[in-house]
Amino acid sequence: MFKKALRALPIALAVAAMAGPSMAEAPEDVLDKLIKKTNSPYLTQSPQNIMMMPDNPAWLVAEEGEILFKTPRGPKNASLEKCDFGKGPGVLKGAHAELPRYFADAGKVMDLDSRLVYCMKTQQGFTDKDPAIAKKHGSDSDIMKLQTYIASKSSGMPWNPPMKHPMEKAMRDAGEVMFYRRSGTMDFSCATCHTQDNKRIRASVLPNINRPDEWTKAISWPAYRTTHDHVRSSQHRVLECLWQMRYPNIKNGSDASIALISFWTDAARGTPAIVPDLKR
Amino acid sequence: MFKKTSTAAAVAASTTLLLVIGGCSATSTGKAEADKSSVAAPKAKAVDYTAMSPNALAEHLIFESGSYELDQPTQEGTTGRDRLTQDEIQKTCSLMKGQELSDKNREKVMALAAASIKYPEGGIKLGDWKKGRELAWSGFGYRTAHNPDVHKTREAGGNCYNCHQLAPDRTGGNLGPSLTGYGKNRGSSPDMLKYTYDVIYNPHVYFACTNMPRMGASNVLNQQQIADIMAYLFDPESPVNK
Repeated sequence: MFKKALRALPIALAVAAMAGPSMAEAPEDVLDKLIKKTNSPYLTQSPQNIMMMPDNPAWLVAEEGEILFKTPRGPKNASLEKCDFGKGPGVLKGAHAELPRYFADAGKVMDLDSRLVYCMKTQQGFTDKDPAIAKKHGSDSDIMKLQTYIASKSSGMPWNPPMKHPMEKAMRDAGEVMFYRRSGTMDFSCATCHTQDNKRIRASVLPNINRPDEWTKAISWPAYRTTHDHVRSSQHRVLECLWQMRYPNIKNGSDASIALISFWTDAARGTPAIVPDLKR
Repeated sequence: MFKKTSTAAAVAASTTLLLVIGGCSATSTGKAEADKSSVAAPKAKAVDYTAMSPNALAEHLIFESGSYELDQPTQEGTTGRDRLTQDEIQKTCSLMKGQELSDKNREKVMALAAASIKYPEGGIKLGDWKKGRELAWSGFGYRTAHNPDVHKTREAGGNCYNCHQLAPDRTGGNLGPSLTGYGKNRGSSPDMLKYTYDVIYNPHVYFACTNMPRMGASNVLNQQQIADIMAYLFDPESPVNK
């Protein structure tokens, strides 16, 4: 196939190396199925991006993340292979699709970003000042390499944040209030742009939170953003939306950010994760 | 809202259920982590999130949890805290899914909007459509967060094209209605000019709880800039009417 032929050899090898009985579904296949099932201009807005998905530069970032994940690092010279992302120590398959969730050891609801940082601190001994943790954004950051690798193990799996612990529900419900809460110079809330079908800001088609089949793509991070030439996280999406909304800076991994992410992930419940995704 | 927050804090303080670290260690990265160092941090305080209503928890997360840089300076000389603090219209118009605006609140919002509108001395006049065109196109201004807009080097724009189609030579959004041919289709009677000025200044006066920002009432656009944008909408020479 043409798509397959486009795939650069090193990427093909990387993908092949990751293949196996437990391999997650290829993101381009997950998206393809959703496009066939729904009639969403958000999903289909960029044929170029869809065509590029098998060659997603995020795969190279994930590959570097796998090496980082398995390499003993930090003052404690430990790998991350014993980190519990919610499904048991070292279990990555499907873990990202069930985040954010409550972690008893931390006493907090955590998203992928904050859980990863937690393990890098507790198991590897890194501190906030170490570049491994301090640098939160960009394809060249450890955090993004690791997140992309870990999340890719949930591709095709349905979003299923637990909502069993009272803290998970409390954070989700507060996130819902924040989603509809208008403030700032322009009176914007998240709902201003994300509660109607087929709406655009200029040429960009906006995803509707009430349409889970398209909303899943909106919340599928990490994703390589062609306009940034970097892989970006959920936390980065929150940051950029709030910047456009004229809100002050929100802190990476803050409880407010996790409440929002809890609500938006719950809204996609049951639809398959597309990770790593590729977006404009 | 502050009343609500302090009530919630009092409720939380008197509860000894599940204790959660709601504060944030004052480290340079601002990462709130429940590790031992932040437990020991003086700013950390124990709050039970599960004992709060969703509204109270949302307010707590916004103002008390260290999630935002509340002291971040804004272009208008206020702080991030002010940006996140809701005025009466914002509060009334934060409708959740399926929630309808009551008639009473609709009247309240429209009255507040009407009271906010200030008209130019000497009446509403059209300005320079070419200046209005650039203002309508520009989405610059008032963004802060990680990349603050510097108004000294560039004036803030009207963001019109983000949501409206105007002249056919540029792609506009569709969150708001198309305004292509605005003046040509509507004429430029004094009533139409006043209506248009009102909608730009504070659209809630006609459309309570509309998504559209209050460009005059929020001081994003001054009267001269509104006059320029109105010229872009009404002038027969403007590409909007070609």
